[in-house]
Amino acid sequence: MERPRAIRSILILGGGLTGLSAAAAFAHALPRARIVLVELPPDPAALADRMPGSLPAIHHFHAAIGLDEAGLLRTGAATPRLALRFEHWSPRGEPWLHVYGDHGLPLGAIAFHQVWAAARREGRAGPFHLTNAAGALASTDCFALPNHDPQSLLSTFDHALRLEPEAYAARLAAAAGKRLLRARGEFGGVQRREDGGVAAILLKDGRRFEADLFLDCAGPAAPLLSRLDSGWEDWSAFFPADRLLIGTVPAAPSPSDLVSATDIGWRWSAPGLAHGFGGLAYASAITTEAEARQALGDSGKAEAAGLIAIRPGRRPRPWLRNVLALGDAAVAVDPLQWTNLALVHSAIGRALELLPGRDCHPIELAEYHRRAEQEARRVRDFLALHILRSGRARGEFWRGLADRPLPDSLANTLHHFLKRGRLPFYEEELFTRDSWLSVLFGLGLAPEHPDPSATAAGSEQALAALEKFGQRVQAETKGAPAYADFLRGLPPRSSSRA
Amino acid sequence: MILGGGTAGWMVAAALANQLPRASTVELVESEEIGIVGVGEATLPHLRFFVESLGIDEADFMKATHATFKLGIAFRDFGRIGTAYLHPFGDFARPVNGVPFHHLWLRMRAAGRQGDLFDYSPANAMAAANRFVPPSTDPASLLSRINYAYQFDSTLFGPYLRTYSVARGVRRTEGRVVGVERHGESGDVAALALADGRRVEGDLFVDCSGFRSLLLGDTLGEAWEDWSPWLPCDRAVALPCAAPDGPIEPLTRAIAMKAGWRWRIPLQHRVGNGYVYSSAHIGDDEAAGTILGAIEAAPLAEPRLLRFRAGRRRRSWVKNVVGIGLASGFLEPLESTSLYLVQAAIRELVGLFPIGAVDDWDRDEFNRLIDVEYDRIRDFLILHYHATERDDSSFWNHVRTMHVPDSLLEKIELFRRAGRVARYSEGLFFEPSWIAVYVGQGILPEAWDQRADAPDARSLASGMDRLRAQIKEQVAAMPDHAAVLAARNAGIGSAA
Repeated sequence: MERPRAIRSILILGGGLTGLSAAAAFAHALPRARIVLVELPPDPAALADRMPGSLPAIHHFHAAIGLDEAGLLRTGAATPRLALRFEHWSPRGEPWLHVYGDHGLPLGAIAFHQVWAAARREGRAGPFHLTNAAGALASTDCFALPNHDPQSLLSTFDHALRLEPEAYAARLAAAAGKRLLRARGEFGGVQRREDGGVAAILLKDGRRFEADLFLDCAGPAAPLLSRLDSGWEDWSAFFPADRLLIGTVPAAPSPSDLVSATDIGWRWSAPGLAHGFGGLAYASAITTEAEARQALGDSGKAEAAGLIAIRPGRRPRPWLRNVLALGDAAVAVDPLQWTNLALVHSAIGRALELLPGRDCHPIELAEYHRRAEQEARRVRDFLALHILRSGRARGEFWRGLADRPLPDSLANTLHHFLKRGRLPFYEEELFTRDSWLSVLFGLGLAPEHPDPSATAAGSEQALAALEKFGQRVQAETKGAPAYADFLRGLPPRSSSRA
Repeated sequence: MILGGGTAGWMVAAALANQLPRASTVELVESEEIGIVGVGEATLPHLRFFVESLGIDEADFMKATHATFKLGIAFRDFGRIGTAYLHPFGDFARPVNGVPFHHLWLRMRAAGRQGDLFDYSPANAMAAANRFVPPSTDPASLLSRINYAYQFDSTLFGPYLRTYSVARGVRRTEGRVVGVERHGESGDVAALALADGRRVEGDLFVDCSGFRSLLLGDTLGEAWEDWSPWLPCDRAVALPCAAPDGPIEPLTRAIAMKAGWRWRIPLQHRVGNGYVYSSAHIGDDEAAGTILGAIEAAPLAEPRLLRFRAGRRRRSWVKNVVGIGLASGFLEPLESTSLYLVQAAIRELVGLFPIGAVDDWDRDEFNRLIDVEYDRIRDFLILHYHATERDDSSFWNHVRTMHVPDSLLEKIELFRRAGRVARYSEGLFFEPSWIAVYVGQGILPEAWDQRADAPDARSLASGMDRLRAQIKEQVAAMPDHAAVLAARNAGIGSAA
């Protein structure tokens, strides 16, 4: 039975990873809808479309669209990633890893991180990431996939994927299936409906595409949504970097991607199989393009870099009438924690869960906006934490950042964490509590007091249990293959070599 | 310093003694001259975890408080006279390919098939058959998604926790408060003056003085936010009766009446009854007469009248005073939320327990979290009254046509359009609870999740049939609720 309100057709504008992810997910969820993907010339500033990074939630997305991850690894469209390694990004500069999943186990009734913090106060704690199996693996460049044995610590961590954007795009297109209709062209404009929604889009060659629902996946300029709404929530006060130089780096298999703070901003590199992706984020008010190119070139780590401008912030109403913005068209953030594509996938899940009728009633869109706002603002908080509390004293880029006002919700998190190790609850967090703890501790931030419910955290008994747990992590991760050996152990990559 | 020895006061004392044994010394001031309201005969599943976190043995606790198991709340005559539904504790069937089950049901319902949504709730089937087993720990089992609470004699719960607390070092001071001493500059409460001339000091005062709100309301004058325009019931007449013959139902009944509703809460040894009503719509004598006429066995006491007002103090934590329980606000017992609100306040107080002096951040965070709890429960309660076709009395005409908070209007409209429930992961009443009340009271969506159209209708129907049959079969094999209680009580006796 076809219902009168059901959405019959969807037009996706933009053929990068954002648009293809949407195509695969909508095609899979709505087998009766007509789905057309209009590929425009790629916008280099659309980070979600070209960055290789993802978060562990990508596994859920792949499960939802029926994309076989073993196949992704086998064909070289993705490699597994355990960690993000931060260098020169703490008061004393010691490197730390952001890894995913559980850090420690509750020791009796006391939260593990309270015990770790107590040990650190006494100078008896190792790096926080070594309380996580993935941290132990990554710190020795080893790798294992998580298992499902609840007795094993190897069931308590998570991993992400490092994508080869072109090969991954092809896999997404295949996952979308034969029903996906594709067209290529240059955007020429829109025809509006009487109610203000979009009736059709036009290409420069005169072709015209109608649909019930339009997905604006065309990058930060948001050619569709920006015609309906000019609202903008500006985050530049929290993110001084407004330029990215993006290039390639040599291939060097590693379970970790690297981000490294420098005097003028920060550099990243994601070493892939065939080549790697890297770049530099800096502030144009402080550093000229020539200086930035020189800095990136001097590191010997990136070449042929293209320059883009970024404007951190979000569109406060990403779904208006029958136009939904996804990816950089909805939220624009730097690639520091690889949230770009993760936000796309999360938004697609939210849109499908709340898919309104053809009339896109404001009540239904309001719930989408409520959730999208909560999620985006906490991602903002998480990323701003790295920038505004880097612990760095050196470098013009970082100067004065610690004195800038924080977003209220981040100030609340920081206050309660610094006082007693509490993490206030917020809805719709993209990052888990373990991720927050990983970054807070990594940045050298630490609670002043144990929480009153954890006064036993510093007892000899608790500290001994902590030490024993550390040994258990080492024991259970020993024997895992080196990362490069793990990759070699995968079945041959027939299609990518062909 | 805890003021008030009712259920809330002793819950706070027990939790602080257990969770913060080294953080502070806990003293509780109570007066035997002052009675307790003893709210919360019927509870929510959260209370189980409270009891468990104290390390209390469930069977011992249940025997001591004459407790029964509760699988949900059975509402009758709310949406329309003659209708009934159970708000079950626990989920309906699992999502299919990420699509919540009720959308699949809505699709089949539109085709005139697959019966009632509540057929797919194991807790509903168990409650209807007066059967009980605890939830399964096997995630593959249908019974892993049920949940249960207790119905107990709340006048015994406080004393039970008093014994527990005093054994763990809580100091109990008997005395009636006649004055409150404050610090000149900060306005903080410094000490309580007792009738016999003693003076009790404290750094932090937890006001569990009940409706009187002696510290938060009287002393600090925190403003009252009045919710009675939406929740007009302002009185209750309570009347316990002997346990009638027949089964002990594992559920609380809420039966809509001309000017409110009445409860029926079966305990092991008796049945609690009461009529919650709006004094603007019915007189006290008539209400008492109604409840006398409704009970099924001999009354065990004279009808007892309670007066209240729906609403709350704008902030629960002001200066160094934290109001918990009725001292911070009141919401009628329609969804058994009173003790949950106490528990939520305890959870946040423990998590934000002052380190050194009380600071603004702790207070603001506490109030932020408690606001969320109160506002959501308020909306959920109003829904029970507003989602009705009843036009048979001035009371129902009022609640049916009144203006409700925008936050609730939006939730109702969101569900009415395509069955979506505003999502959150912290606080009380998740998706299944809202769905039960919407559907049970006749708010049916006009459409459903489009993804529910994907599965083949025939295999979907046979899958749903199988599920119903499985539920029926498993429930038929379960023991009777009263038999489970008897066996547990016997176990205590023989173990001792």
